[in-house]
Amino acid sequence: MVSNNSKSLPLDGLRILDLTVVWAGPYATQIFGDWGAEIIRVESIKHFPATTRGMVMRPTKEMVSQKGSLSAYPDRDPGERPWNRTASFNAHARNKKSMTVDMTKPEGQKVFDELLKISDVVIENNVPVSMDRINVNWERVSNVNPKIVMLRMPGFGLDGPYEDYRTFGSHMAGVVGHYSVMGYQGELADMTGNTLTADAAGGAGAALALAAGIRYRNHNDKGIFIEIATAENFANYLGDHILNYTVNNRLASPMGNRDISNAPQGVYQCTGEDRWIAISINSDKQWKSLCNLIGSPELAKDSEYSNAAQRRSLHDTIDQLIEAWSKGMDAHKAMRALQAEGIPAGVVMNEQDAFSDPHLEENGFWETLEGDETGKYQYASTLWKTVLTDRSHKRAAPRLGEDNEYVYKELLGFDEDKYAEFEAAGHIGMDYDI
Amino acid sequence: MVNGSKILPMSGIKVLDLTWHLAGPYGTRLLADYGADVIKIERPSVGDPSREMEPFFKDERGPEKSLLYQYLNTNKRSITLNLKSQEGKRIFLELSSKVDVVVENFSPDVMERLGLDYGVLSSGNPGLVMTSISNFGSTGPYKNWQASELTTYAMGGAMINTGHPEKPPLYIGGHIPSFHVGTVSAAATAISILGAEQSGQGDHIDLGAFQIWMGAIDRRQSYLMSHQYTGDISTRPWPASALGTGIWQCIDGYFMTAVGVGLFPRMANMIGEADLLNDSNWSTAAARSDPERLDESIALIVPWMLERTKAEARDAAQQHGVYGGPINSFEDLLNDPHFQHREFFQQVEHPKMGPITYPAAPFKLHLDNSKGNEKAASPILGEHTEEVLKDFLGTSASEIKNLRKGGVI
Repeated sequence: MVSNNSKSLPLDGLRILDLTVVWAGPYATQIFGDWGAEIIRVESIKHFPATTRGMVMRPTKEMVSQKGSLSAYPDRDPGERPWNRTASFNAHARNKKSMTVDMTKPEGQKVFDELLKISDVVIENNVPVSMDRINVNWERVSNVNPKIVMLRMPGFGLDGPYEDYRTFGSHMAGVVGHYSVMGYQGELADMTGNTLTADAAGGAGAALALAAGIRYRNHNDKGIFIEIATAENFANYLGDHILNYTVNNRLASPMGNRDISNAPQGVYQCTGEDRWIAISINSDKQWKSLCNLIGSPELAKDSEYSNAAQRRSLHDTIDQLIEAWSKGMDAHKAMRALQAEGIPAGVVMNEQDAFSDPHLEENGFWETLEGDETGKYQYASTLWKTVLTDRSHKRAAPRLGEDNEYVYKELLGFDEDKYAEFEAAGHIGMDYDI
Repeated sequence: MVNGSKILPMSGIKVLDLTWHLAGPYGTRLLADYGADVIKIERPSVGDPSREMEPFFKDERGPEKSLLYQYLNTNKRSITLNLKSQEGKRIFLELSSKVDVVVENFSPDVMERLGLDYGVLSSGNPGLVMTSISNFGSTGPYKNWQASELTTYAMGGAMINTGHPEKPPLYIGGHIPSFHVGTVSAAATAISILGAEQSGQGDHIDLGAFQIWMGAIDRRQSYLMSHQYTGDISTRPWPASALGTGIWQCIDGYFMTAVGVGLFPRMANMIGEADLLNDSNWSTAAARSDPERLDESIALIVPWMLERTKAEARDAAQQHGVYGGPINSFEDLLNDPHFQHREFFQQVEHPKMGPITYPAAPFKLHLDNSKGNEKAASPILGEHTEEVLKDFLGTSASEIKNLRKGGVI
């Protein structure tokens, strides 16, 4: 792509065995794959990972016809192999490889041992009881390869009453108090909806943990075992509220879209279907500019509105005035007009906004990749840029078992006979056999 | 490198930390948590603006009383330095030649204006990793735009999908947008450190909060791909819009579940309706996809939940493998037996405030001598100025006196 970006990627040469599922773990290996590590997803044709490669293995067309799905199929068609066509998986699995092995069988266990010997990292984010079943734990992996870095990221950690508790990010968020901070002011919790931010947080935290672990290994010439409980990682995103409770005995309550320091702050309706603009006023100067812009110049001079505390007490009135203006405005025009006055403002962006955004365009944020059973689609770029490296993606998401030949023949030295034997025994394949 | 008796993953890494407010300081705190020597550079006499941000210790304002600052700056050293003075700049340049990492989250162009951009800093220190954090990154039409945590999440994050379909999109709460950007900045920095240690060549990392959220797996990434597959524009889902999924009222609060047609048999078992699964309307995932099943299931789940406490629902969900959890307050969290068992909350003694209870750092190292999540209290403003200048640059006591007089430190 860019010719002067000649430096190799920072994680080139690292091999990661990836036993992650759903989102939090895969997000960590997405980041690692983006920056040069070889990610080998260790999957099985004898086990369908629900919610990782689709909610169900073979959904009917009717089942995937629903509008606005979080993980849709191309043209709403599950196709011959639906597990290779589901949006959530395909988005995170760019730059990754996929191999299959049945680790419930002894020869499958042996294959895993051989892979451990030639890998730098093994990562998983399953309920501990699932890993016990296939004997994946620190004792075993460090016996096979004393220099390996192991990262385990169960939702609630490897001990304690919730050890085997099954949760998604939204539930971990609930357990650690997130929904006492997030929600509509004065509304019941069941209006809040759910979020999966704990997964994004867990993946990013795990990427840091992996890098830290590899550095430990590089400098100490021995492996390390790291445990990141996704719920604990996410509780750190609420640390200031936790301290406000532990020190001041004060419990948070949801503020909707308002803020403790910016006033006014809110999300206001614009013209069109589900169009909104977010606005934050963080200085008296911005307030004056806003008053002029929304056609209420008299308020800029009104001493009852001159500081944030006053404006907070009159927030409902101010919201009505702002919305009276925004309702007649196109959201993008409103954003540009506000930004031109130095006011923090942003369109609540939907997918169309994202794909037509000039800033993302100029940053080369979208990259087209072609998948064998999906087609050509745009993938989000790496989360950050560096000056010296070419960050372009190498390939689209792998089909189940797509890299079996590479892993078994090139990495493990299987000949044709042995490969065929493993195919017959239900280890190697590209279709679930359940 | 050995830091006391501990060898931690980031031991030996020296970080010059110019960050302020939230995102940058959280990122460098994570590096400090795992062994990096983080030298926080603050403005003389006022320090990081977060020293004046809520919440405060017993509501007493003051530079050593902000709990937000205390939370974000544990395990760091603080020095004061006026970067706008020639002498301050000289000291910064000397320090930067002796460190592995420089992190800053000023507006784009500020470092260049100060004459301290990557080109300058790396010329005498090619292995340097420089991390720059901003709202929109350093290039592109929005690079000088204003942003708040709300507008960042609105533009980049999955805000259009957060909240209720008949209400405005909802903010993610607290300082979550900043903390996430901080975590990503720490991961980026650590990844580039690995590259720099391998090749001897550092790099300049350019992070924009907008881009970080646009690429986040918090729903956004999936919806962006789904949109290309179907043309659908996503919005906020109705509560309980998927089978067995919703926020349910219990005796003492709310309990949340996420099940779907595939795993619904587990929930049928949990609520004592296993017989349903013999009925052809319920026996297959396809049959369970009929919208009528959704209404029927809600009629079964609601009364079951209303008769149980959050803890009872949690135990039943765990027993049956149903994905879910209670909606807790921070009081619930602090009293939770699981988090107590894991010793997740730790007391740290602060010289001016006494003991403060913190959540432990995000991950545990299984090392003989450390879990890697022990904390030292956040520094008093300029607490380590003399120590750092003496250690790094051999500055004498009389020189330090003069610098202080001149307002440089």
